[in-house]
Amino acid sequence: MVAEREGLPQRVMYVEDDPDIRAIAEIALQDVGGFTARLCESGAHALKVAPEFDPELVLLDVMMPGMDGPETLRALRELPGMAQVPVIFMTARLQRSEIDEYRALGAAGVIPKPFDPMTLSEQISEILASAQMRP
Amino acid sequence: MASQENSDVSAKLAALRQKFLVRASADIEALRAYAEQARRGELSAEGLIQCYQQLHRLAGSAGTFGLAELGVAARALEKKLKSQAEELTDADNSHSQTIEVNDGFADGIDALAKLIEVKSENRDQGQTTVSRGDAFEGSHGMQVSVIVMDDGREGLASLGAEMARYGFDCRTVDRHATAAVQEALADTPGAAAILCSDSAVADVMALRNQFMAKGARRRLPVICVGADASFGNKYHVAKLGAYAFFPEPVDVPELAERIESLAIERSAGVQGRVLIVEDDTELAEHYCLVLQSAGIEAQTVSDPLDLMPTLSAFQPDIVLMDVQIGDYSGVTLARLIRFEPRWLSLPIIYLSSEDDPDNQLEALSKGADEFLMKPVSDDYLVRSVRIRCYRARQLSELMNRDSLTGLLKHSLIKQEVEKELARCRRDGHPSSLVMLDLDHFKRINDTWGHRYGDIVIRTLANLLRNRLRETDMIGRYGGEEFLVVLPQCPVPAAAELIQGIGESFAELAFSVGESSFQVTLSAGIAAINDFPNGEDALEAADQALYQRKRGGRNGVTVYSLQ
Repeated sequence: MVAEREGLPQRVMYVEDDPDIRAIAEIALQDVGGFTARLCESGAHALKVAPEFDPELVLLDVMMPGMDGPETLRALRELPGMAQVPVIFMTARLQRSEIDEYRALGAAGVIPKPFDPMTLSEQISEILASAQMRP
Repeated sequence: MASQENSDVSAKLAALRQKFLVRASADIEALRAYAEQARRGELSAEGLIQCYQQLHRLAGSAGTFGLAELGVAARALEKKLKSQAEELTDADNSHSQTIEVNDGFADGIDALAKLIEVKSENRDQGQTTVSRGDAFEGSHGMQVSVIVMDDGREGLASLGAEMARYGFDCRTVDRHATAAVQEALADTPGAAAILCSDSAVADVMALRNQFMAKGARRRLPVICVGADASFGNKYHVAKLGAYAFFPEPVDVPELAERIESLAIERSAGVQGRVLIVEDDTELAEHYCLVLQSAGIEAQTVSDPLDLMPTLSAFQPDIVLMDVQIGDYSGVTLARLIRFEPRWLSLPIIYLSSEDDPDNQLEALSKGADEFLMKPVSDDYLVRSVRIRCYRARQLSELMNRDSLTGLLKHSLIKQEVEKELARCRRDGHPSSLVMLDLDHFKRINDTWGHRYGDIVIRTLANLLRNRLRETDMIGRYGGEEFLVVLPQCPVPAAAELIQGIGESFAELAFSVGESSFQVTLSAGIAAINDFPNGEDALEAADQALYQRKRGGRNGVTVYSLQ
């Protein structure tokens, strides 16, 4: 079940306010995908965890109370070592303008919600592969 | 090891689904309270915003927990509230005032509540299916399973054995042994049907409904057999929910035929594949995401130079093409696609902001099939693509498949020979070509009539589908002649395989009233790689078949280079 590790990140941080989604994402990332996952319940929590966990990839829910996804991204980028870490947004609202906006913020891609726990890690590797191809 | 991990994961997922179900039920209860307020005209702006957020959350999460229907329904309601909720949020004053809402809202919430009730009923069955991944692929190459439920006295075990001779995987259980029934249902998720006696239909339906989730139930019809073929009895079993009734003595080929077609129907549940040709990569990606989240496979091409290789590799059902891709014209590209005979019937649909009918007509005459007007809403895109994929598949089935047997038509199976020869050249593997012919077929038609001739042909087609691999290609070559391409299969192995199929076929008894008859088949086999082209390989297999016919039929002859 463990994915080919070549070129893929190991440590993934997922920021999501819904505890049920956090639980299923943990399985999708760790058991199915073979990543080392750290789940955070809010943007603020993520900012605390990031320096110590040193994520190689960050998944951000867009709609969260308090700091939302985009705000969390901006704050993360300010942290030392976090300027280049690839970020993928998770969103249930797919709108063209929205995707443009996330791109402009420097996101590697967007994964639509609901995601399928069995294929989440494949979606991640596809996004990372195509992000690398883009100049 | 891997399967251990697998079952571990599914156990964890199942547990989380149960938890989610509990929470979602509570959320929907809360929503219902708001719906009641709305009915009484007492819903506040604050309440509406709450509902909107709640629905958004459900829409984004339910699918992940295997409750796709619920997610889709929540998304539809979310959309209804969207503009109003956003206005109210922006206005950000007097959130406590009551407001008017869209009529469908309260009813929509009630519908959500119904959906979740259904899911909760099935709670004990655990294991709701994980979205698209589990699509069952029946028919060709995968043996079709049938569950026979008997009480030991109903004589269905022998019918099961008979079906097994037609290549079906039959599992017989005693319907009074509840645990065994449950196990059989759980172990054969791909089963095409349950077979039982007409007097047992009520019991069997109850067992099926008790042990299977709602969605899975619909996919496992109950077929019953019985001695009483009166209208009254048939009406009775139909009322109980039986899918089909076969009078005793059972016409086994017909029963096999019915089950086979159920399996094929089921495997056709695929949603489709779309290739998007669009130079605006972000727009392309948006379309891609929208289609993918609806379960449709989509891929994009932004550089026309990649178009042809991607077509071959991805083999889409339809192409969505922008009218202008950088310096290239979509109209010209459509024509270029049609240069290749294999893409002559590929539907190409323009994405265009062109609303001048004259210009549209010109594009149509140059090879495009239809227009989708930009801007396209997400819903409209999904619906129209789905419908077009479905039609494209139906059409290509009609064009490529023989109507009697569902096998590839003459010209297509011949193409497959050429293709396999090219693959052999490239990879150096050995492959076999088999020409099959029914013995004394004319005599069958003359003696029993064409209806029985057709039954024999269909029965052989089904047997071949059941016994061969998914990668093998089977075509109806002529009236009673079949052509089979067996990739990566050396001639001795092919001879053994076909010999076995021939023996099984010869054992089948076709009954006509009181009497019955049996049919044998002859086969000629050649190694595809021994020949410079497909025509010669076909000629060789045909010669071998001719030798077999002269040498007494009923068997296999391998072509030898003299």
